[in-house]
Amino acid sequence: MKLRKLASCVMGLTVAMGLLAGCSKGNSGTSAVKGEEGAAQTQPAAKDVKLTFFNTSAEVNTVFEEMFKKYHELNPKVTIELIPTPIGGAQLEKFQSLLASGNPATIVNLDAGTILQYKDDFLNLEPDKAKYEALTNPGAIDGALLDGQFLGIPWTAQGYGLLYNKRAVEEGIGGTFDPASVKTRDDLEAVFKKIEAAGKAPVMVHGADWSLGAHYLGLTYSLQSQKVEDNRKFVEELKNGQVNLTENPQFTGLMDTFDLLKTYNARKSDPLVSDYNRDSADFAKGDAAFYFMGDWSWAVIGPLEGRDEEFGILPLPISNNPEDFGNAQVAYSEPKLFAIDDSKSTPEQQEAAKAFIEWMVTSEDGQKAIITDMGLSMPYKDLKAQSTNIMSNAVSKYVEQGNIINIGVINYLPQDYWAKTGAAMQKYLVGNTDRQGLAQEVQDYWKSYAGK
Amino acid sequence: MNKKLSLKNTGTFLVFGGPSIFAFTAVVIIPFIVGLYLTFTNWDVRTGDSSLIGFGNYLEVFRDKVFLSQLWFTLKYVFFTVVIANVFAFFIALALTRGGKGEQWLRTGFFTPNLVGGIVLGYLWQTLFSQVLPYLGNKYGWDLFQTSWLTDTGTAFWALIIATAWQLVGYLMIIYIAGFTGVPGDVLEAASIDGAGRYAVIRRIILPLTVPAIVICIFISLSRSFLTYDINLALTKGGPFNSTELATYHIVQKAFLSNQYGVGQAEAVVLFAVVAIIALTQSYLLKKLEVES
Repeated sequence: MKLRKLASCVMGLTVAMGLLAGCSKGNSGTSAVKGEEGAAQTQPAAKDVKLTFFNTSAEVNTVFEEMFKKYHELNPKVTIELIPTPIGGAQLEKFQSLLASGNPATIVNLDAGTILQYKDDFLNLEPDKAKYEALTNPGAIDGALLDGQFLGIPWTAQGYGLLYNKRAVEEGIGGTFDPASVKTRDDLEAVFKKIEAAGKAPVMVHGADWSLGAHYLGLTYSLQSQKVEDNRKFVEELKNGQVNLTENPQFTGLMDTFDLLKTYNARKSDPLVSDYNRDSADFAKGDAAFYFMGDWSWAVIGPLEGRDEEFGILPLPISNNPEDFGNAQVAYSEPKLFAIDDSKSTPEQQEAAKAFIEWMVTSEDGQKAIITDMGLSMPYKDLKAQSTNIMSNAVSKYVEQGNIINIGVINYLPQDYWAKTGAAMQKYLVGNTDRQGLAQEVQDYWKSYAGK
Repeated sequence: MNKKLSLKNTGTFLVFGGPSIFAFTAVVIIPFIVGLYLTFTNWDVRTGDSSLIGFGNYLEVFRDKVFLSQLWFTLKYVFFTVVIANVFAFFIALALTRGGKGEQWLRTGFFTPNLVGGIVLGYLWQTLFSQVLPYLGNKYGWDLFQTSWLTDTGTAFWALIIATAWQLVGYLMIIYIAGFTGVPGDVLEAASIDGAGRYAVIRRIILPLTVPAIVICIFISLSRSFLTYDINLALTKGGPFNSTELATYHIVQKAFLSNQYGVGQAEAVVLFAVVAIIALTQSYLLKKLEVES
């Protein structure tokens, strides 16, 4: 009797252990799949390839998924699975945990700066460089190089500056608006004054740390020179404590303009609310004539009901000399790159990944998805789709004329710079600190990175 | 015979306790030990390199003035959250154990916020604080609500406390209700015959008899509010200008945004020590107040 009980206990235990083992197998399921793929490589008969795609452009997850489906229809042996991330949250954390657990995605869509930080884990695309140089606009591949290496394929281009709502500006100034008439800060102030006198809010300043820290204050680093290399040197000097920002003409110019924006800010009464959708919608409906933002806001503005029709972009003037660098240029970058994992992926997966990326950026289906469905502009020649994004079309005019600020220096900045210096800018925006205090805080931040 | 029995006991224990022990070891004990080990290294996820650096990270923690000030901020936040959540939970539970109509519905209502995830709850309150209340404030001229509570360092602190307490109250209320039902009816009856007032009953009978519930509630609210991360992220994102970053939020930023894993992990260990000391001390002290009915 006792023995039987013991036996049943042992059996129960065995079942429990079996279940646990089952669980742990479930957890390492992906590595099991990987093993199978490795086996598939030696047997060319079964060439099914499974790719994973890590996406930080979370707002267009579904468009990517449609593309994966389409590609799978055309190439039934290639299956692509999306690893989504939340909009604006914990993207990098997820990427890092995938990498740290030895389970990285085959293809990533990441910020160029992140790819640079993890450059040893990504495939060097040097053999494909010439091909992509032929496919893209002049300078696009150069702009995507990271420390001189071609590690990621650019697929989207973005620009930012002072967006304007044509109807709102014209109602404010009482006549047609010629964007070329604003060449200096004083020109801008004159326009602002007229708009305010007409009872409208002149400009929308979005109070989020990324907008203030990366886009606004970040211009300080990009405006030092037209060459990214020089701008990197400037940042090094900041880290070494050799720069006094209050004596730097680019910084003081930017901040003088910021004071102007602050004075005429539509959100003056509560500047840090920073509701991106609301700010964009209010601007699109003409509640503010200008908006310091980029062409990506079209994703919100485009589908909005009751919005105005015509929008454009102005460079942000930082001085009263029209010749100064920055007064005629808009900030422009290729913020996201497609890169391929080189730490765990098999050569077969890498080849399939290359083919898939090329299909995305060159095929009609791919370009339609990116340009029409995502509303982004692409730095590629011979585009097979027409962009509906009025703002990126406006940016393109500056790009064609070569009137751009290359903000490539941001790829080399530490990942927390926008959050930390953005907080300092927020303090300045609400009057919690003065110019001297702001400069000090920003300098202190950079000094904490001395030698790193 | 004895040997057989102990073997059987071990077997029975393993069948029922084994899976839990395995899970607990796998997801709590091992990560904790690995985490402790990490605090003595300069591990960098980008390169995968790591070498032992002794107590360097801990020294860095005490040099990190921002972390220390945020630890102090967290203590203040925890204090107010625990007090407010427990006081409300206590009195709501009291009101809902008097046998009135619709008590069950009200209990469910108060408990519901607990079922809502922290992120969703944070966004919900964010909309309230930054859109709904300012709208009403401007419409009816209420000064208090004319600007968003989340954009001012002082009010954002209280917004954080209100949202957390709101979530906690329902959970604590259930425990208090369980505690109150454990108070013997004859004692209360005797008190009312002796002519004790409502206040005296609460003060002299209910409070002392529900000390175990109070200990549990304070323990739960302490540990939960010390480890608040989701509401902090969704409601204020640490803003305005990092003034409402709780310790956990700072740790995550340090590790994942600034890429200082060792230091971030060391800060987490320090936070763990602080929480453990405070939570254990309070339960030790309060347990002394327990009485038998």
